Amino acid sequence: MIDHETELKLQAYLDGELSAGEAKAIAGMLGRDVCAQGLYQELRIAQSLLPGNELERMLPESREFYWSKIQRQIDRVESTQADGLPEEAASRWWPRFLAPAGVLAALAVFVAVVLRSPEGGGTFLALDDSHEIETPLEETSSFSFRSEAAAMTVVWVDSHRE
Amino acid sequence: MFCASSFLVRSGPADLNLQAQLVWGTNNEKPDDPKLKEVDPGVAEKLRKVFKWKNYFEVKRQNFTVAAGSPKKVKMSDDCEIEVQSLGSSSIEVKLYGKGKLAVRKTQKISPSELLVLAGDDKDDTAWFVVLSQPAK
Repeated sequence: MIDHETELKLQAYLDGELSAGEAKAIAGMLGRDVCAQGLYQELRIAQSLLPGNELERMLPESREFYWSKIQRQIDRVESTQADGLPEEAASRWWPRFLAPAGVLAALAVFVAVVLRSPEGGGTFLALDDSHEIETPLEETSSFSFRSEAAAMTVVWVDSHRE
Repeated sequence: MFCASSFLVRSGPADLNLQAQLVWGTNNEKPDDPKLKEVDPGVAEKLRKVFKWKNYFEVKRQNFTVAAGSPKKVKMSDDCEIEVQSLGSSSIEVKLYGKGKLAVRKTQKISPSELLVLAGDDKDDTAWFVVLSQPAK
């Protein structure tokens, strides 16, 4: 019987993620431990099968709409958290903002740089920030995005319906 | 259902001819409602490229003209109304009213091949759409 820590080490060994010393120790264990050998073989089989048979997950909607919903949810959660913080807590809160802000910045870079159509060089996805949008009602929010593929600008109005 | 859509075309030096459609999106089959029509295939195809719903039905279509400097209100349903104003230089301001309240205001450049869609979700995993573009001449 091998413990969970050893199981993880075996998996890391298979993935080539261990240091030289750790890899040597695991290799030695594999030479004398039948249970470890069995688990290692199972992991090898799984590793060989996954790349060609991993289930492809298709989005039910466009990439633009999918990512814009995630962006909206992030904005909403952050807005709620910021509104609910007492003054003292808020003063300690800003350092923790750096992490999600970094994620958002990375997402923005991803959108602006990575998601470009390879052949034309034009933007494949664009959050529509070039035109003014306003949502005066408190119980509603909205966001805008553009789909180049559909030649369409969308203003999605969320009435916060549960 | 909250609202519909509209389209823009130049008819005079400063006027815009618009077509407004109220569209309902659903994954179910067409309800037994004679008021619902199939959406133009081109518009439906564009909507399918962006949104998850399979079927789109036109609830109402409005053609109207927006004169320069004169906002035009168009009633799309009992609860939904849009107001479009030409700002010049191919820009328009669109206001969407739900139950008489201003829900969203959007300023957008327009072009003949583009759609401007105001949309939101509705009950039972359905959605309403307001689309702005140029109607066929």
